[in-house]
Amino acid sequence: MEEQVLSIINDIRKSKRLNVLDALKETDNLRTDLNLTSFDLAELTVRIEDEFGVDIFEEGIVNTIGEIYGRLAK
Amino acid sequence: MKPFFIDGSRSYGYSLLIEEIGREGFYYPLYRTSDTYAYWKNLLKALVSSRAVTLLDSDINPSEIAGVDIASLNERVEIGRCEIETTGQLIDAVKRSTAEISIFTSGTTGQPKKIVHTVASLTRTVRTGEKYENDVWGFAYNPTHMAGLQVFFQAFENACTLVNLFGKSRSEIYEIIKSRHITHLSATPTFYRLLLPVERTCPGVVRVTLGGERSDAHLYENIQKIFPNAKVNNIYASTEAGALFASKDDCFRIPDAIRDKIKVSDSELLIHESLLGTSESMSLDGDYYHSGDLIEWVDEAQGLFRFISRKNEMINVGGYKVNPEEVETALLSIAGVRQALVYGKSNSVLGNVICADIVPDDGYELDAVGIKQALQGILQDFKIPRRIKFVETLPLTRTGKLKRV
Repeated sequence: MEEQVLSIINDIRKSKRLNVLDALKETDNLRTDLNLTSFDLAELTVRIEDEFGVDIFEEGIVNTIGEIYGRLAK
Repeated sequence: MKPFFIDGSRSYGYSLLIEEIGREGFYYPLYRTSDTYAYWKNLLKALVSSRAVTLLDSDINPSEIAGVDIASLNERVEIGRCEIETTGQLIDAVKRSTAEISIFTSGTTGQPKKIVHTVASLTRTVRTGEKYENDVWGFAYNPTHMAGLQVFFQAFENACTLVNLFGKSRSEIYEIIKSRHITHLSATPTFYRLLLPVERTCPGVVRVTLGGERSDAHLYENIQKIFPNAKVNNIYASTEAGALFASKDDCFRIPDAIRDKIKVSDSELLIHESLLGTSESMSLDGDYYHSGDLIEWVDEAQGLFRFISRKNEMINVGGYKVNPEEVETALLSIAGVRQALVYGKSNSVLGNVICADIVPDDGYELDAVGIKQALQGILQDFKIPRRIKFVETLPLTRTGKLKRV
């Protein structure tokens, strides 16, 4: 699961010409640490929904990688 | 004598058509058939006897359309023999017809609507005369819809030959255009895109018309490569109004004769009811029909305008309005993209996310990241598709337009 989330985030970063990350930390903030805009977050939700069938924003805002893992582990 | 209609290896002459219309003595008011010659013959029988006829797609499921009495499907009605002996008499009888012709919208969005037309409203833009009599028309539209009827009457009223291209494969189309000496083509941009990349040239074609959808400069260039001797133009027609405007490039001109019957309100094109067929399901605003087509003036005094989009197709992304056709045009400008369909997918963060389905050209390896990076120089960030899928084909409507989801 963590590998798939990393791969999705790296795809989004590549499209924005940002460097590819080797790993994610649970404390990484989506906006401030990973430089994702609300458009990127929307893409992230669609891609995660495609792969896991879960809308991570359905129950409210998600700020960190750890919170994404939490929603997916449910 | 010239053939009336050619379909594959079969050729039907005008003399056969006249003989059968005169002899058979019946027609079908509600006719469903996949035999295009039989379909045309039935339409002409209804017209020469001024009887009402409803035009149905060969693959229509009656439950898809309201107001059709399915019990009378393919039921014969006697009309008696008719005294027509020459092509000229047949054409005159059709021109004089008072028959009501019911057709259905293609349902690009929503349930098909029934619209009642007359020969007069269907042939408003038909041109006849000696200079047209040797035209050979490639028939690339669904015969039961407005654009197909326009081509049919243009060819028929000049006693020209129609050659069936509807539903044929790419290699068949190239072959038929050459072997049947087709001079005139009218089709959707989607049809011409299927002929790309350019495989060979068709120097015999002198006129190419696009209609029904927005086209783009990239497509124009390629069409000109396939048909180096053709004049290329665009036609604006709708099921409700028939053909109204023609263009030479991406600008349309409103003819002087109907200038006072066209209005623009909030960028939307409004059409006066006197130009329309009749329909119970068509709502008017005063005397005007809202076409749903958004335009911008190029030169208002000259009646010159350009299409922007369909009104109901704008996608709302976090408060930004995205025109899917603009995004499709940008995608089509990227090497290796043959066809593209852009649509919104509902999303909890932004309301909608822009998605694109892309048909790649043969031999191209495209990837989503590369497409997005290519778009960054062309489109604002909020317009760039966030989910890109590569597909082999895109769904089309009955009239050969891209189907919007």
